[in-house]
Amino acid sequence: MNILIHDLSYEQFQSLFPDIYNDVYIISDTGTIQHCIGCFGCWIKTPGKCVLKDGYGNMGALLSKSEKLTIISQCFYGSYSPFVKNVLDRSIPWLLPFFKIKNNETHHKRRYQNKMQLAVHFYGNNITTAEKETAKKLVKANCANFYVKNYEISFSNSLKKLCGKVTTI
Amino acid sequence: MKICILNGSPKAGKSTSELLIEYLMTFIKGNDVVIYNVCKTDLSKVQFSQIQSSEVLIFAFPLYVDSINSHLLRFLIKLENMGFSNKNITVYCMINNGFYEGWQNHVAADIMKNWCKAVGLTYGQTLGIGAGEMLPFFKDVPLGYGPNKNIGIALQELSHNILSLDQGDDLFTSPNWPRLLWKIASSFIFWYPKAKKNGLKRKNLYSPHSQI
Repeated sequence: MNILIHDLSYEQFQSLFPDIYNDVYIISDTGTIQHCIGCFGCWIKTPGKCVLKDGYGNMGALLSKSEKLTIISQCFYGSYSPFVKNVLDRSIPWLLPFFKIKNNETHHKRRYQNKMQLAVHFYGNNITTAEKETAKKLVKANCANFYVKNYEISFSNSLKKLCGKVTTI
Repeated sequence: MKICILNGSPKAGKSTSELLIEYLMTFIKGNDVVIYNVCKTDLSKVQFSQIQSSEVLIFAFPLYVDSINSHLLRFLIKLENMGFSNKNITVYCMINNGFYEGWQNHVAADIMKNWCKAVGLTYGQTLGIGAGEMLPFFKDVPLGYGPNKNIGIALQELSHNILSLDQGDDLFTSPNWPRLLWKIASSFIFWYPKAKKNGLKRKNLYSPHSQI
């Protein structure tokens, strides 16, 4: 399954991607998402599932079905947008609380064994060079923690250009 | 000196960020300090103006998925939109993460530096601490000693720079405790007992959750 997480409005998304295929699972902002409260319930109370009931509680299981994850996000200071970051913060049930050491860094062990590809498409009017460098480091760190080997990253200064960058989902 | 400390931890109970703020307070006594948790309360106009008129802003927050949690991120964007007419503010950060290595906070530190550029404030210094969940276990150990040796030394340097409004290189550190012992302890002293309290066996923690 291919998964798309994006922060575009319904109108923007329909306008930019009218022909998106039906087999893509789309995660967008319905206005109901709650912030992760750091309770670790997804690890030690209901393992694999977030305890918050807002329609975004099954990110771990969803990602376990994913072969390719595409993220479309406005870039803020080199980070994802708050909504996209919110979804990622709620995705840690894909991992286990336990640690392993790889490349001399500690990382969480994985709950699921599926291998994901990742494509991250940032957009924004004035993304600075420093912000781009930070965003690249962020995506690389995410890949290390979510066991992603193949990833791509792009930056667009307009939604129109973004549309051209997102060739496959 | 007017110092505003912004706790960016969304955790319901007592957080490591709160503990780090308590530690820092012992180094910056005698100053005019206010502390707000930006993830738990909606700040009033008066409180926002206190932030905007302070000389020092200190952010204390946990690392979420390699960067800044979404709640704090929204707050940073709100602060940028409100703007800072007073640009004579120096920003410092205390970031803690659940991994062992303090330097895994480096991306979050860079995001905060980029935010400072966006709002026109001066970035002072980062203190990035690893094994954050372990710190409450050592809260009765004096700073600068035993497992709190490294953190005590780093807090001393950070507080010195805060009080003199100086900038400094990023400080990344971990508790003075072997990584292997920390890794074993995290399972046997932290995760397993917490799961047991919830009526779960060890094997339950590894279960995949099939419901989509």
